[in-house]
Amino acid sequence: MLAALAWRNIWRQPHRTALSLASIIVASAVTIFLLALQQGAYGTMEESVLRLLDGFAQAQPGGYADDPDLNKTIAKPETAIARLKEIKAVTVAAPRASTYVILSNGDRSFGSAVFGVDPSAEEKLSTLAGTVKEGRYLGPDDENAAFVGAGLARNLKISTGDKITMLGGARDRSIAADVLTVVGVFSTGSPEIDRQVIEMPLTRFQSDFAMDGGANVVAVGGRSLADIQAVLPALRKAAAEIGLTMRDWTELEPALHDVILLDASFSALLYVSLVVIVVFIILNTLLMSVLERTREFGMLMAIGMRPNQIGAMIWMELLFLAVVGAVIGVAFGAGLTAWFAGRGIAFPDAEILFRQWNMPSTLYPDLNWRSALAGPTAIMLSIVFAGVIPYLRVRGLEPVSAMRAV
Amino acid sequence: MSTIVECRGVAKRYRQGALSVDALRGLDLQIEEGDFASLAGPSGSGKTTLLNILGGLDRPSAGSVKIAGEDITKLDNNALADLRLKRIGFVFQAYNLIPVLSAVENVEFILQLLGAPPKERRARATEMLEEVALAGLDNRRPAQLSGGQQQRVAVARALASRPAIVLADEPTANLDSKTAEDLISLMSRLNESSGVTFLMATHDQRVIERTRRHIVITDGRIASDERRTRPAS
Ligand SMILES: Nc1ncnc2c1ncn2[C@@H]1O[C@H](COP(=O)(O)OP(=O)(O)O)[C@@H](O)[C@H]1O
Ligand SMILES: [Mg+2]
Repeated sequence: MLAALAWRNIWRQPHRTALSLASIIVASAVTIFLLALQQGAYGTMEESVLRLLDGFAQAQPGGYADDPDLNKTIAKPETAIARLKEIKAVTVAAPRASTYVILSNGDRSFGSAVFGVDPSAEEKLSTLAGTVKEGRYLGPDDENAAFVGAGLARNLKISTGDKITMLGGARDRSIAADVLTVVGVFSTGSPEIDRQVIEMPLTRFQSDFAMDGGANVVAVGGRSLADIQAVLPALRKAAAEIGLTMRDWTELEPALHDVILLDASFSALLYVSLVVIVVFIILNTLLMSVLERTREFGMLMAIGMRPNQIGAMIWMELLFLAVVGAVIGVAFGAGLTAWFAGRGIAFPDAEILFRQWNMPSTLYPDLNWRSALAGPTAIMLSIVFAGVIPYLRVRGLEPVSAMRAV
Repeated sequence: MSTIVECRGVAKRYRQGALSVDALRGLDLQIEEGDFASLAGPSGSGKTTLLNILGGLDRPSAGSVKIAGEDITKLDNNALADLRLKRIGFVFQAYNLIPVLSAVENVEFILQLLGAPPKERRARATEMLEEVALAGLDNRRPAQLSGGQQQRVAVARALASRPAIVLADEPTANLDSKTAEDLISLMSRLNESSGVTFLMATHDQRVIERTRRHIVITDGRIASDERRTRPAS
C-alpha cells in the first residue's frame, strides 16, 4: 500500500508531475538521439578513414609504428596472411611495403610515399581503388605500373600513359631506381593523400627495393570495424605467434582517435549538465511537495508510521517518476532516432569538411542498446540517488513540529 | 479496572530562542480503563501538549509517563512510533485522513502497518466503518466526505488497532452542533459497547456534558478532576 500511496501521491499535482515527466522524457530522448548520432558519426569517420588505406588493423614488425623503416620487414607475408585469415571476422589480409621516394618527370621532382600492394587483395580492403579519376586501378598483371594521386599528377604534369622516374633507397642500402608507367590517377578528396601517395605492384616494389619477398605490414579488413574490434584479442594472439605486433585502429590513426576522444569528452560534459538540470528540476519539485505536505507527514507519524517509512514513500515517488519518465523517454527517443537512422541526416554545409576524412555528408544515427539506454539510465539513477536528500529531510522530521506546520 | 495512563510530575518547557514557555508545570494524572473523559481549559493551557506527550508524539521535559504500565519517556523514536501505532488512537481537529486513500483504505492502512494479512484487514476496516455508521461510503476519498463523516473515519481508524486509549484533540471544533452531537454520541456508544478509553481535549460544552469524567487544566496544571456517575443524556 506504500507503493500505491506513493503512486497516487505523484498524481495529486498532475500538472507538476506532467512537467517533471516531460523534463525526464525530453532529456532521455535528447541523450538517445545525440549519443546515437555521435556514435554514428564516429563510426562513419573511423570506417571512412580506415577503409581508404589503413584497414581496420595491421600486423606489423615490432617498432614499425613508431619508426616505419623499410628494414623492419615481415619476411614471409604469406604465412602471416594465412594465419590471420584463420580468424573468421577477417575477410581480407593484404601485404604492403612502403617507403619514401623522389618522383620525377623531366625537371619536375616531388617527394612521395610509395606503397607496394597486392592489387587483388587491396581492392577488397581499400576504397582507394574506387576513387579512380582517370585511367584504372592496378591489375594483377601489372609490373612497372603506378596509381598516382591527383595532386601529385598535377604537380608532376603527368596523366595516364606517362612515365615517371622513381628514386629511393633500397633495403640493402643500394640505390633503388625504376621507371613506372602511370595507369591511373585517383582523387580521394583528401588533399594530403592525393598529393603524397602512389601505389605500385608489391612484386615490382620487392625487386626494386631488395625486399627479398618481404613486406612491411599486413593490413586486415573485415565486414565492419566492429567485427574486427571484437576479435582483436585473437588477432593480437595470432600476430604474436608469428613474431608480429597487431595494431588496432587507434594506433593506426591516433590523431583521429584523439579527435574523437576530445569530442566525446565535450559531449559528455553536455550530457552531464543535462542530467544535472533534470535532477535539479525533479528534486526541486519534490522538495516543494514535501514542504507542502509536512503537516500530513505529522499526521502519518501520529498514526504510527515511522519517519523512515515516510521517507521511503517519498523515495518511491521519485522512483516512479524516474522509471515512468525514462521508459517513455526511451520509447520516444528510440523511435525518433530509429526514424532518422532510416533516412539519414544530411549535412550539406559540412560536405567539404567531411570529404577530407573521406566521409559522406549524410550521417546515420547508430541506435543500439548503448546509445538507447546510457542516457536514460544515467538520468534515472541520478534521480533515484538524489532521492537521498528528501529522504533524509523527511526522516529528520519531528511529529509535533510537523503537525504545527502550515 | 486497570490504569491506562499514569503521569507523575510531567513538565514541558518549549524554547524559542531566548524565550521559553512552560506549557506543563508538574502535572499528575491517572486515566483508568474505560474512562470517557474530557480535558477542558482555556486556550494555551496545555491540553494539546499533554495529549501529545501521552500519545508519544512529544517528550516531557521532566516527569514520568506510563502507558499501560510501560514508561514511555525512555523509548526511542521508532519505539514511540510503534507505541502510537499499537497502543494509541489519535483523532485531531482536522487533516486526519490521507487524502489519496479512500475511507476504507485509510482504516486499512493502519492494519497494514501492523502487518495484518490483506483479507483480514479489509474485513476489519469494513466492519469498523459500519461501526461508525459509514457503511457504503467505503470507497469515497476524504474530499468526497463531509467534515462529520471524515471525523467518523478518523474514529474508525483510531479504533482499528484496538488501542489502549483514544486521544482526541478538539475533535468537534470544526463541526456544526448537530454533527458534533452525532460524533460525541458515537464515541460515547463505542466507549460503552466496547469499553474503549477516551480522553478528549475540548472547549465544547456539549461534549463536556456527555463525558463521565471532567478534567480541567489551567496553566499547565490540573485544576479540577471530577467524576460523574451518570452522564447527562
Ligand atoms: N511547539 C511549541 N513551541 C513553542 N511553544 C509551544 C509549542 N507548542 C505549544 N506551545 C505553547 O505552549 C502552551 C500550551 O499550548 P497548547 O498545549 O497547544 O495549549 P492548548 O491546546 O490548551 O490550547 C501555549 O502557550 C503554546 O503557545
Ligand atoms: Mg490545543
